[in-house]
Amino acid sequence: MALDIDRYAHVESPINRWDPRVKLVALGLLIFSIALLKTIPAAIVAIIFAVIILVISALPYHFIMHGLSFVLVFLIPFFLIMPFTYPGEASFSLLGLPFAWEGLRLATLIFIKALSIVLLTFSIFGSSRFDVSMMAMQKMKFPKTIIQMLLFTYRYTFVFLEEMKCMHTSMKVRGFIARTDVKTLKIFGHFVGTLLVRSFERTERVFNAMLAKGYQGELHSMVTFESNTNDYVKALCVIVIAFSLVAGDYSGFIHRAEQGWY
Amino acid sequence: MHISEGIIDLPVWGAAYVGTVAIAAVTMRNMDMEEIPKVSVLTAVFFIASLIKFPLGVASIHFILNGLVGVVLGWRAFIAITLGIVLQAIIFGHGGITVIGVNSIMLGGGALVAYLVWQQRHYFNFAKREFVFGALAGAVGTIFSGSVLAFALMTTGEAFNVIATTVLVAHIPIMIIEAILAGVCAEFLLKIKPEMLSGHRRS
Repeated sequence: MALDIDRYAHVESPINRWDPRVKLVALGLLIFSIALLKTIPAAIVAIIFAVIILVISALPYHFIMHGLSFVLVFLIPFFLIMPFTYPGEASFSLLGLPFAWEGLRLATLIFIKALSIVLLTFSIFGSSRFDVSMMAMQKMKFPKTIIQMLLFTYRYTFVFLEEMKCMHTSMKVRGFIARTDVKTLKIFGHFVGTLLVRSFERTERVFNAMLAKGYQGELHSMVTFESNTNDYVKALCVIVIAFSLVAGDYSGFIHRAEQGWY
Repeated sequence: MHISEGIIDLPVWGAAYVGTVAIAAVTMRNMDMEEIPKVSVLTAVFFIASLIKFPLGVASIHFILNGLVGVVLGWRAFIAITLGIVLQAIIFGHGGITVIGVNSIMLGGGALVAYLVWQQRHYFNFAKREFVFGALAGAVGTIFSGSVLAFALMTTGEAFNVIATTVLVAHIPIMIIEAILAGVCAEFLLKIKPEMLSGHRRS
């Protein structure tokens, strides 16, 4: 499972060279504006821009596809359920269930918006090292405690993933097969409990190690940021896109065009 | 279960963000240095534990475990779950960035309510106490989350009413599974390392 979002952060691209602080704010604004969209044509324009930004970031195709698989698994059912459960007049019947075009339209809108936002998230966090992204967030005035905890959690996630795999292997070696019964639940309960106990003991060691290295409640990082005109030019482009998306969507300009389509 | 991007309306997810920040601020009061690694490490464990797949007939489900988070972390459970959600949005793109607030209130709120239920065990004393209250905490955590999810979907409009009801009903078997798991785990922790359970009193 590819948990390290920043695996390809070293790949050179205009997005990679963008000052992470400016990148975060600009693309964050774009995400916010996409969340506000209400018409499908606007959403399509949005996803085209999201794809363009992703292509510019030069992140590997297989990496993106793997990440998207989780999202798609969640979103596909919407397409299947929404048209059939939409209240109001049904256009026709499909397999005995009332089918409403409005439901399909809504599901499509949600799908395209969600996909655009996820692609942009990849562009933001896939193009910088995770700790660099976190330091950028700290520079944008996120609380230091939260940033510290995010960094620790990210780091220990990989440690426990390995530990879980080890424990799972040893269970399988002893003949464990997961079934839909209470016995499996009991074993999983003990499994989670063991993970918790081991992690708890680990935190004591981690904290003592940190104290021994002079930890006093703050993380000191050697990450520095400097921005130049290029960064702000990129930011301006993105902000203009974000603004025009929302303006076009809400002014009815795109809506009138949409009406003419069907 | 998380809500994904693009579904909920701005007023709802905006208000949820504000609510999340408020609750996080309150539940993080007087948090000292030592708790930072502790909460982070336990958040990582729950993050990983939620990847375990439990077979359900031909399909499988992932555990939510927010009741258990409440049992182990007490008030700090809220920020732990919020961090888990933030990381899920960043790493997996699962859930979503705009709905971090909604998901936090949904799952984190469930953890806090579960913690309150768990604390009621001090009024009782019988052999299987930790199992029963752990199971209750697990169940409450799940059903609270399911209700908030259904509510959030319904605020978006009539179109989602059927989905909202389906979601709520689907949470019932999940609730039973989570309850058993949380109960077993609480009992296990009592035997192996009781100080991990929040509100533990040395007798």
